[in-house]
Amino acid sequence: MNAPLYRLRAVTQTHGGRVVLDVPALDIPAGAIVGITGPNGSGKTTLLRLLAFLDRPTGGEVRFKGRPSLGRERELRRRVTLLVQNPYLLRRSVRGNVAYGLKVRGVGNIREKTDQALAAVGLDPARFADRARHELSGGEAQRVALASRLAFEPTVLLLDEPTASLDGESAALVRQAAMDARDRLGTSLVVVSHDIGWLTEISDAVLAMENGRIADTIR
Amino acid sequence: MEYILDGLRQALVLLVSGDPQTFSAIQVTAITSLLAIAASLGLGVVPGFLLGYARFPGKRAARTFVDSMLSFPTVVIGLLVYAFISRRGPLGDMGLLYSVPGMVIGLTILGLPIIVALTASAVENLDARLRPTLLTLGASPWQVVATTLWETRFGIMLAAMAAFGRVVSEVGIAMIVGGNIKWHTRTITTAIALETSKGEFAMGIALGLVLMVVAFAVNIAVSAFRRISEK
Repeated sequence: MNAPLYRLRAVTQTHGGRVVLDVPALDIPAGAIVGITGPNGSGKTTLLRLLAFLDRPTGGEVRFKGRPSLGRERELRRRVTLLVQNPYLLRRSVRGNVAYGLKVRGVGNIREKTDQALAAVGLDPARFADRARHELSGGEAQRVALASRLAFEPTVLLLDEPTASLDGESAALVRQAAMDARDRLGTSLVVVSHDIGWLTEISDAVLAMENGRIADTIR
Repeated sequence: MEYILDGLRQALVLLVSGDPQTFSAIQVTAITSLLAIAASLGLGVVPGFLLGYARFPGKRAARTFVDSMLSFPTVVIGLLVYAFISRRGPLGDMGLLYSVPGMVIGLTILGLPIIVALTASAVENLDARLRPTLLTLGASPWQVVATTLWETRFGIMLAAMAAFGRVVSEVGIAMIVGGNIKWHTRTITTAIALETSKGEFAMGIALGLVLMVVAFAVNIAVSAFRRISEK
């Protein structure tokens, strides 16, 4: 039997001595779409940062494809990426932003891949590739940030309220691009959102979080 | 009032006619200032970056020291450099006194804390989302450092321009270490001081105009870069 993509056991995270996340057991299968919902401060972002290997848990173990993640974070961050609600764009052109993840991986054919990634999020490369970050609207900046992550074809795409501050059209494009990545590349998606309707529509399972715990799982 | 206007007219004549003595001072000023800024950047960017980026014991004390150095009086820097490079000083044999390299050393000491402090501030003021963004895009620790340095480029340019503005208008180091030797180490500021004391008002005004143009240009460039860097 194949190991799940993520296996979390007895994972806890504390900030200033306070337990902000307590997950006794969680498995996320490869290729799945998992939704996470819950009120502010319920531990959703803390969980995503652990899944993105940006933080190490205070206690417990996170396994990725059957192997412990401890000490492998740098390697795993090349396969897992996180997009937040207000992402940071680098002080370079749109193409420079989208190309960054490819360059740090030493991938070739950058121009073609950046064009494809921009097109995937509904941005015409001919119009947008040379723009600076201050020449983008909020929705366009979010789509550039998503393109920056899709360009290197991640195994896992973690989305932290990716459409919360977007207009309807931009939100639809972000959602569509994420779903395309899953269908085309087999990218697993973990999506934090307050939009329960959307989560239940797309997800294989929705985790409802409360006070740092998974209070309910809706399938 | 008449003699001021007359001095201004003569100053314009000196500048337009390309008066060799006037342009010698401008040339020495440009050479010493640019070399000092280049040296300050070479020596100061990495420590400034580390001061803003890294966490280490004594960081606060180091920052306080660098900030204190910003207000170091230029005549004292001149005095210290003089003590080291004068014939009786530990570096006396190197023949640096009353030379352009000697002046560059003094001006570098003036510019260095500005580069270090402003580079550190630029790094500290970077967006807190930068590091997690780079990590989640797959950057290695060295790639994170290199990209963070690149993201600070406008701040470093700003530091260089601020340091240039201070170095180019400095008089104490140039006078004490350079000795104000005509055709050799005379700069705009030392020439203004000397020519004015001799009653050669026109050259003082001519050089003063050049200095003001440089200072305004630096300030305009700083403002423009600040706007760019905030985008």
